[in-house]
Amino acid sequence: MKKVDKEVAEAYFRARTRMIVIFLIIGFLVSFGVVAFAEFFSQFTFLGVEFHYYMGSQGAVVIFIICLFLNAIFSDKIDRKFGIDDKVSVTISNSKNIEQ
Amino acid sequence: MDAQTIMSLGLIIATFALYIGISIFNRARATSDFYVAARGVPPVWNGMAIGGDWMSAASYIGMAGTVMALGYDGLAYIMGWTGGYLLLTFLLAPQLRKYGRYTVPEFIGDRYMNNTARLIAAIATLIISFTYIIGQLSGSGVVIGRILSIPAMYGTMIGVVVIAIYATLGGMKSVTWTQVAQYMILIVAYIIPIVFMSLQVTGNPLPWLTYGNVIDEIGAIDRELGLSEYFAPFAESEKSQFLALMFTLMVGAASLPHVIVRFFTVATMKAARWSGAWALLFIGLLYLSAPAYAAFSRFILMTRIAGQPIDQLPAWSENWINIGLLKIADQDGDGMLDWTEIEVSPDMVVMATPEIANLGIFVIGLMAAGAMAAALSTAGGLLVTISSSFAHDIYYRLINPQASDQKRLKAGRIVMILATVVAGVVALDPPGVITQIVAWAFALAGGTFFPVLVLGVWWRRMNAAGAIAGMLVGLGTTLTYIFLALSGVTLFGIIDTGAGIFGVPLNFLACIIASKMTEPPAQHLQDDVTDLRYPEQMTYKDGEVWINDGTRN
Repeated sequence: MKKVDKEVAEAYFRARTRMIVIFLIIGFLVSFGVVAFAEFFSQFTFLGVEFHYYMGSQGAVVIFIICLFLNAIFSDKIDRKFGIDDKVSVTISNSKNIEQ
Repeated sequence: MDAQTIMSLGLIIATFALYIGISIFNRARATSDFYVAARGVPPVWNGMAIGGDWMSAASYIGMAGTVMALGYDGLAYIMGWTGGYLLLTFLLAPQLRKYGRYTVPEFIGDRYMNNTARLIAAIATLIISFTYIIGQLSGSGVVIGRILSIPAMYGTMIGVVVIAIYATLGGMKSVTWTQVAQYMILIVAYIIPIVFMSLQVTGNPLPWLTYGNVIDEIGAIDRELGLSEYFAPFAESEKSQFLALMFTLMVGAASLPHVIVRFFTVATMKAARWSGAWALLFIGLLYLSAPAYAAFSRFILMTRIAGQPIDQLPAWSENWINIGLLKIADQDGDGMLDWTEIEVSPDMVVMATPEIANLGIFVIGLMAAGAMAAALSTAGGLLVTISSSFAHDIYYRLINPQASDQKRLKAGRIVMILATVVAGVVALDPPGVITQIVAWAFALAGGTFFPVLVLGVWWRRMNAAGAIAGMLVGLGTTLTYIFLALSGVTLFGIIDTGAGIFGVPLNFLACIIASKMTEPPAQHLQDDVTDLRYPEQMTYKDGEVWINDGTRN
C-alpha cells in the first residue's frame, strides 16, 4: 500500500466527475432539449424526416450509445494515467467477495 | 391445428428447450450463484444479458404499437427507456458495484445502517417487480392466445404455469446465460420482419434508412384524411406529458432493482461501465427498429387494409377480432373499411404485422418465439429479484439470520411461485395496455429509489432518516398520483404514466430536509461513501487515499 497525494486523489475524482457532467448535459440537450423546442425543430428535415421526429426515433439513442462508449474509453484512459491496473482491481474485488 | 399453429408452437417449444437446457447446465449451487452469478460475468455478455433482461414484453410486443398509435408522442418511450442507461451507468452502477452487495434493499440497509430502511426498500422492490411482472404475463397471454386461437385470458393462465416452472429451475447464473440466448433470439426475430417489410415497401433492405420516406407518405395520407400528421409533435398528448413521461421512464430505468442487480454480477467498476455501454448498444438495436416497425405497420394497414370492402377482409383479421384486440366497424355504412374505422390495440401490432404483410409462416412463428423470449427473460430476472428481496433481505436479514443456504433458496422459490400466481390472477383482466402497466412500474421505481440511491453514493451527509422519509414520500406521492390520474384528476395535463415527475423531486426534497434536520451518519459510513469516488485499487481510509501497488502496508 502506498499513500496517494491528496491533490492526486482529488484530481482523479474531479476528472471523472467532470466527464460525467459533460455527458449528462449532452444527453439532456438531445432528448429534453429537442422535445422542449420540437415545434421549432420541425422546420428542418434530416434523412427524409422532420428533425424533431428523427432525433426522437434515432438521433438521441445513437448519441446516448456514443456517450456511454466514450465514457468507458476515457475512464480507462484516466485510470491508466493514475496508475490503476485492471488486473489488480479484479483480484481485490474477488478477494473482497470471498470475505463476505 | 393449421400449419401456422404447428410452426409457431414448434419454434416456441424448441427455444424453450434451449433455455431449460442452459438452466440445467448452469444450475445454482450456492447463494452467490443464485443471486449474482458469483460475480464473474464478462462485460459484453453481461451487456447482452442486460439487454435480454431489460427488453420485456413491453419493449417487444407493446412499444412499436404504442409508437404507431401515438405517432411522435410515442417516442417518449424510446428516449426514456434508453436515456435511463446514461443515468444508471454514470451515476449509480459503478459505485453500487464497488459497494459490493447482493441486492438493492441490502445496499440501502447497509449504507444507512438501518433495518427500517431495509424493510421499506424490500417491500418497494416487491411492489415494483410485481407490477412489472403483470405486464409480462399479459404479454405472454397475447402471444399464447393468438397461437392457440383462444382468448388472451386463457393464454395468460398457460403463461403463468410456464413462467413459474421456468424461473424456479435456476437462479441468477442460469438466468444470465439464458438471458443471453433469449436476447439473441428476440433481436433476430424482431429485425427479420422489418427487413422484409422494408424490402416489400421500399425495395431497400435497411429499414433504418428507408422508413423516413414512409413516414412522409403516412403524413400525406393523414393530411388527405384530415387527421393530424403522424409525425406532428404533441398531437396525442400535451408537451408537459411528453416531458414528464420521458423523465419518469429515464429515472425509473436507472432504479429498477432487477436491472441494477445485473451490475452486481460483473467484476469491477470498469466492467460496470463497459457493461452499461454494451447493454445500451444491444438494447438500441431494438429501440432504433421499433419506430421503423411502427411506420411500416401503419403504412401497410393504411394502404392495403383500409379501402377494402368490409366483407372481403383477409383471414388474419378474424383471429385478432376473436381475441379482442382488433375492432372493425363500418360506421358510415358504405361497405368499405376506412382507416378511421379500424381500431387497433397497440398490443397486437408487432404480433399481427408479419401476418398482415404476408411474410410466411416461419417469420410469423419466429415472431411468437421472440415475444415469448422477451416475456420469459424479463420475468426470469424479475422473479429472481422478487425472491431475493424476500428470502435475502426480509427472511434472512430481518427474520431468521441463522437460516441455512438451503432454507433461504427454498423460501425464495416459494415466494417466486406465489408471486407468479398472484400476478397471473391480476393479469387475467389487465388494468391497462402492456406499455402503460410497465410505465407504472417505472414511476414507482424512480419515485422510490432514484434519489435514495443517487444521494446514497454521492452525498456523505445523507442518513437513515433521509432515506426513510424519501422513500415513503416518493412511493406515496407516485402511488397517489397514479390513482388520482386514473380517476380523472390531473395537474398540468400530466397523466398516470408521467407520475414520476412529482414523486422524484419530492423524494429528493424529503431526503435532503430529513437528513439535514437529523444527526450526520457515523464516520465509517461517510468514509465508505468517499471510498466510492475511486477505483477498487484505491482505498479511502482515515482521511487518506491509499493505492494498492502490490506491497504490504
